[in-house]
Amino acid sequence: MTSYQVDPQRIERNWNAITAELDVPPASWVERFLGAIGLPAHITRVALATPSLRRLWLLATALVVVIGLASADSAAARDSIFTFLMIAPLLPVLGVALAYGTEADPAHEIGLATPMRGLRLVLTRTVVVLVCSVLALAIVALLSGNAMALAWVLPGLALTLMTLAGSTALSPKRSASMVSGLWVVGLLALNAAAADPVSKFVRPGQALSMVAAIVAGVALYQRRQRFDIVSDIS
Amino acid sequence: MTASQILCQGLTKSFGDSEVLSQVDLLVEGGLVSVLGPNGAGKTTFLRCLATVLTPDAGSVLVDGLSPLHESDRIEIRRRLGYQPQNTRFAAGAKVFDVLDYVAVLKGFENDRKRRHWVFYVLDLVGLRDRAGDNVGDLSGGMIQRLGLAQALLGQPSLLILDEPAAGVDPDERFRIRDLVADRRADATVFVSTHLTDEAAVSDQIMVMNKGKVCFIGTPGALAQVAAGHTWTQPDRPSAPVRASWRQADGSYRCLGTPPIGSTPVTPTLEDGYLTLVS
Repeated sequence: MTSYQVDPQRIERNWNAITAELDVPPASWVERFLGAIGLPAHITRVALATPSLRRLWLLATALVVVIGLASADSAAARDSIFTFLMIAPLLPVLGVALAYGTEADPAHEIGLATPMRGLRLVLTRTVVVLVCSVLALAIVALLSGNAMALAWVLPGLALTLMTLAGSTALSPKRSASMVSGLWVVGLLALNAAAADPVSKFVRPGQALSMVAAIVAGVALYQRRQRFDIVSDIS
Repeated sequence: MTASQILCQGLTKSFGDSEVLSQVDLLVEGGLVSVLGPNGAGKTTFLRCLATVLTPDAGSVLVDGLSPLHESDRIEIRRRLGYQPQNTRFAAGAKVFDVLDYVAVLKGFENDRKRRHWVFYVLDLVGLRDRAGDNVGDLSGGMIQRLGLAQALLGQPSLLILDEPAAGVDPDERFRIRDLVADRRADATVFVSTHLTDEAAVSDQIMVMNKGKVCFIGTPGALAQVAAGHTWTQPDRPSAPVRASWRQADGSYRCLGTPPIGSTPVTPTLEDGYLTLVS
């Protein structure tokens, strides 16, 4: 009869690994969905760190899709697409305002003291919301045949980066309020002045959004360290 | 893992017109350091500066020779750091496992298996493994504090900063947390702030802060000796002014200050030394 000697430490390591897998509580369906579409678990964890972030993420994606579907209605399509293009870019801005800081995450200060850069954290959350919204809207645009439904993406990116850049000097909520206010006032003025305001979202609007996104992105990068310490701005 | 070296020179921080930290100098390498002081002494501000989440107005903090003012150094310090802020809270509705898994991601554990290993390792340490799937809102105050400690222990930090980790919990939990913290001193420099002298008694060094300044740093025995010759008991409430006095369980009064003629000094305790400094 042959006897085998197995390293007890190896057995313990293996046993610990098995029990760790068994003791992990089941993931939420949102996490499972994001995992199924290929998002790595650690990115999902950062994007959906708290239940409030999960609700926010769902709300932002759902709102963009619902408004996108509504704007695909052919009756009064011009007005509805304009309303959609005004509201949709504000949703990621809202996400930024509500997804960062002590109010959104009671454990915010714990996160600050980790090697993860604050800017990377907030950008990860923003990008996950944006990418999921864009994917959902791409399906809406394909189904409705209305490619204008995607014209909010660049303005949305620009407004989000402007809000983040503003958050280095103001509170995220105040920054988001100011950026959103300027956006809405600007578009209402455009609607009053231009015969076809939706057409402005095509070339001039996209070009302007690109420039604004680059400028805001550079400002944000230069002031990124503001996301790594306790903020005394309110 | 080698314990981190902490060097503070002229550390100063103000909020508005109020100077909360004033010219704090310190050199510590290894062991458990209890930071004692009354409310508003500057303990939390000091610990936040050490934890690199607050930038001092003047002076410097160096952790293993690295300065948090430089971005790359700050990231490196944070790799070595475990931090439990004051009044630790977590999002209600989040699961215990999810909270730790999230902090583990922030600490750089991107490999799922390695991250789970660390999460369950610290859950075992603080005795919360069987609560891994529970909502944070279902935990007691003591368990929340232990969860706060668990996240700080992820990755076996060489610098552990704990701001009142046993605040507001019952004695049983308090002693449990105290033992957990004391066990960390073997492989880390541990700073713990507290109001309670019995918690500080197990530390290697005690740092007493008052009005933003460090007024003592030394062993628990040395702190008690601060009150040597200035502590006495008497049957009645003192009629002449003393530094501090309080009624004891046997009805007598324990007094600190200049003993009156004829009184018999008693052996001072840690509390006597502390109150002599801050009263």
